[in-house]
Amino acid sequence: MKNKGLGEFEELVLLAVCILQGSAYGISVKKEVEKHSGRSILLGAVHITLYRLQDKGFLKSELGGNTEKRGDRRKRLFSITDTGMQQLRAAQEVRQKMWQFIPQLNPEA
Amino acid sequence: MSHNPPKIFLKFFRWFCHPRLKKPIEGDLMELYEERVKIDGKRKADLGFIKDVLLLFRPSIIKPADGTYRINNYGMLKNYFKVGIRNTLKYKMFSFINVFGLAVAMSVCMLIILMLADQQSSDQFHEKRDRIYRVLGKPFKGSVPYATTAYPTTNELKKEYPLFDQVVSLRFGVGGEVTFNQKNAEVRGFFTDNSFFDVFSFSLVEGNKTTALSKARTIVLTKEKAYQLFNTENPIGKHVQFTNKGLSILNPDSETDPVDWGLYTVVGVIDNENLKSHLTFDVLVSSSSLATLHEANLIDDLTQNWDMTTDSYGYVVLKEGISQRKLDHSLVDFAERKYADNEDLPEYTYFSQSITRITPGIVVSNEIKFRLPERAYWVLSFMAVIIMIMACVNYVNLSVARSLSRTREIGVRKVNGATRKNLVYQFLTESVITVMFSLFMAVFILSIIKEGFMNLWVIEHLDFNLNLSGPLYLLFFFFALVVGVLAGIYPALIISRREPVSALKSDASISSGKFGLQKVLNVSQFVVSLLFIVTSIVIYKQFKHYTAFEYGFDAKNVVNIPLQNNDYELLAHEFNTVGGVMKVSACEYVPATGTESSVDFVHPKTEEEHKELLFLSCNEQFLPNLELKMVAGKGLPAKGSGELDRYVVINEAATVKLGFANPQESIGEFFLDKSRKNMVEIIGVVENFRASLLIGGDEIRPLVLQNREESFKYLNVKISDVNPMETISNLEEKWETIGSGRTFEYDFYEDQLATTHKAVFDVASVIGYISFLAILISCLGLLGMAIYNTERRTKEIGIRKVLGAAEIKIVLGLSRGFLKLLIISIVIAAPLSYLFNTLWLNNFPNRVDFGIGSIILGSAVLLTLGLITIGSQTIRASRKNPVESLKYE
Repeated sequence: MKNKGLGEFEELVLLAVCILQGSAYGISVKKEVEKHSGRSILLGAVHITLYRLQDKGFLKSELGGNTEKRGDRRKRLFSITDTGMQQLRAAQEVRQKMWQFIPQLNPEA
Repeated sequence: MSHNPPKIFLKFFRWFCHPRLKKPIEGDLMELYEERVKIDGKRKADLGFIKDVLLLFRPSIIKPADGTYRINNYGMLKNYFKVGIRNTLKYKMFSFINVFGLAVAMSVCMLIILMLADQQSSDQFHEKRDRIYRVLGKPFKGSVPYATTAYPTTNELKKEYPLFDQVVSLRFGVGGEVTFNQKNAEVRGFFTDNSFFDVFSFSLVEGNKTTALSKARTIVLTKEKAYQLFNTENPIGKHVQFTNKGLSILNPDSETDPVDWGLYTVVGVIDNENLKSHLTFDVLVSSSSLATLHEANLIDDLTQNWDMTTDSYGYVVLKEGISQRKLDHSLVDFAERKYADNEDLPEYTYFSQSITRITPGIVVSNEIKFRLPERAYWVLSFMAVIIMIMACVNYVNLSVARSLSRTREIGVRKVNGATRKNLVYQFLTESVITVMFSLFMAVFILSIIKEGFMNLWVIEHLDFNLNLSGPLYLLFFFFALVVGVLAGIYPALIISRREPVSALKSDASISSGKFGLQKVLNVSQFVVSLLFIVTSIVIYKQFKHYTAFEYGFDAKNVVNIPLQNNDYELLAHEFNTVGGVMKVSACEYVPATGTESSVDFVHPKTEEEHKELLFLSCNEQFLPNLELKMVAGKGLPAKGSGELDRYVVINEAATVKLGFANPQESIGEFFLDKSRKNMVEIIGVVENFRASLLIGGDEIRPLVLQNREESFKYLNVKISDVNPMETISNLEEKWETIGSGRTFEYDFYEDQLATTHKAVFDVASVIGYISFLAILISCLGLLGMAIYNTERRTKEIGIRKVLGAAEIKIVLGLSRGFLKLLIISIVIAAPLSYLFNTLWLNNFPNRVDFGIGSIILGSAVLLTLGLITIGSQTIRASRKNPVESLKYE
């Protein structure tokens, strides 16, 4: 993967995976993101992003258990990798740094 | 689970989804669906499911196009490829036979593709090409259509029908010399107006398209001619002198006395060098210039003339959305109104031809550019396809036969789990590899035969551009691919069908049935070859027949010299003084070489319908010069003996046509020459001879001869046998002294007669070449089979030899099967070729007798070649030391 950076949506998905802690799969991630961002998200978009993040090495996955609803179609459960965590932190830091320099927010600086 | 999502979309998802992602995503989809059913009800959940599936259809989720097991497949393909290459290299002889045969056939097909591509590219540069139509005229039912129509046609059409955006007419009559600053350029072209640029997309490199040719006395030149006159100077606005010499685009030989047409202003330069079009011209003159030319009586006024239908072309651009059918309908209606009352052309009718269908297109008279009719391409393509099929048959035969020795490989593959599909792919890979080798060879062969083909007399006049280009290479590649699959599919299906057990066990039992088909294929190859051979022999005989034809006159040692506007009497007088010259005569055109003119005779008393007869103007020496004898009366009067145009001599055929019981009766009879409106008296009847083309018809046509010196164009000089070339150089010297500044031209009459039928010879050579290829390919196939057969029987031969069989016995034993094939082919092909050839010969004028000789000759050729092919293998096999052949494994 050439682009190791994080897109906005990717960041949201990554965060959702972190929040879900081991029970992150397509639908739960979709719901989580919808819950926090308040916007409606397509299942396809979530899946594509999950697999792309996995390709980038930010996520890892394993096959999870069945539920009654799913028949024999097992869930693929995602969890964050160390690089993923680093990336997330880095993104957070960049923002934090930039926030500090907004004059409207820090009138005394 | 009570609810199910729409099945078709679920299936669709399963079909497109990458297998790696299928299960989890499908699970998610189902889970979501269940939830939605609970909350929103089934209908909404269905819609939501459909939406989700459709939105999942995106590149990162769709499985790769080349199959799920891509990596695995690639390995297999690599293996097929490797095995294919190894097989090709291992059996060099077989591979060569296959590759070479396919290459030869492909090169012929490629040549045809090149020709078609070249022809198709004609007139593709016109922006409005979908709406441009040429108006064609048909003088009477069943006649060949004419590309030319009456001059006022298109303008009148535009006035009367609301179908057209633009119309344009191109009138003949411009042909002569343009002069500027003592520089000359010979130009031929048309009168036309500014709408020319609205209709066609010839762009001007100099000058203004919107105004060019709208004023009187303006001309547009082609870039080439402009360069000749002005070099790099800007030609726009320059005044050039135009001298008309009656040069015509249709007839390269036409020339009249030069007439000064005055000064013209150059208003444009067209660059048409790289534009392929059926329209050829060097110059366009504004049609408004015609008015002054009419006044000065330099050219006929055709603006209201509907009878002259051979002097102008008409093109129209239809309005958007108007169909050709509608146009044709209007044209028929138009013709009815214009021509129903015309006594000469009561049946005259129009129809249209799309500009993109002109080349290649139907046969049309007065076409600007000589070109092959569509039918010729059909015939050529048909022959090429036959050759291609024959080559494919070879491939099929050889690979099926050879697969017998590969049964073990097939068995092992099958036992290891190869499906039939895999094997089919494998053998198709091999055939495609073979064909790709052939493609390289074919491109090479193509470059050779292209040269020979372009040098054919007919083709030289067609102005082909057979250059290879990128898209064509791509086309060839796909062509090769298709050939590869077509050739390979049958063997692949046959070979892959074998049961693994029988394939592994032995290879002897499988052969019998398959060989039946191979025999049929071999026989049909030879039948086709023999057909071709016999046909080319017959056509060649026909050509020979034409060259040795009894024309009825003696053309030997007659040299025809174009007068080129010199005074014929002076020249004739001077030439008579040259040593070796026996007789000099003059005539209007050289009989039996393609040109002819005609005259209409009406009987003055009865005033019955007029009779059309061939007409030839010649002087009193002409008939004796060609050793033609008078049957009755006397010959033409010599100059100085009264009114020459009162007397005519006719031939015997004309006496019949004019209704006389015998030649004697016609002497002294009077007829009215309809076009010249004078009475003529028949003073003599000459024996029949041919003045028209042999290919034009069987019978000798009625002919009228008259001494009209103003129309003489040729001198016929009869020279003695001794040193003819010296006599000719003496003639040339004489010509120089008379000093017209023209170069001396001459042709032996006999040569002229022969070249007239060059087209027949060309057809013979094309068919000859094709039959050569056909027999080459058939023999290659035979060779392959013979090699294979002898190889397989090596041990048998060894044992026979050890047991004391004579070599000749072995040869015969090995050859018997093939000999039988050859004989069967001949038995089938002989009557077929007889039927086929008599079929076309019967429609051919002045034909040669078919004769059994052609069949015998053809069969002999076939047998000889076949025997050499078989013998080369069988004799070698029978000579082999049995010790070696017994060791053979």
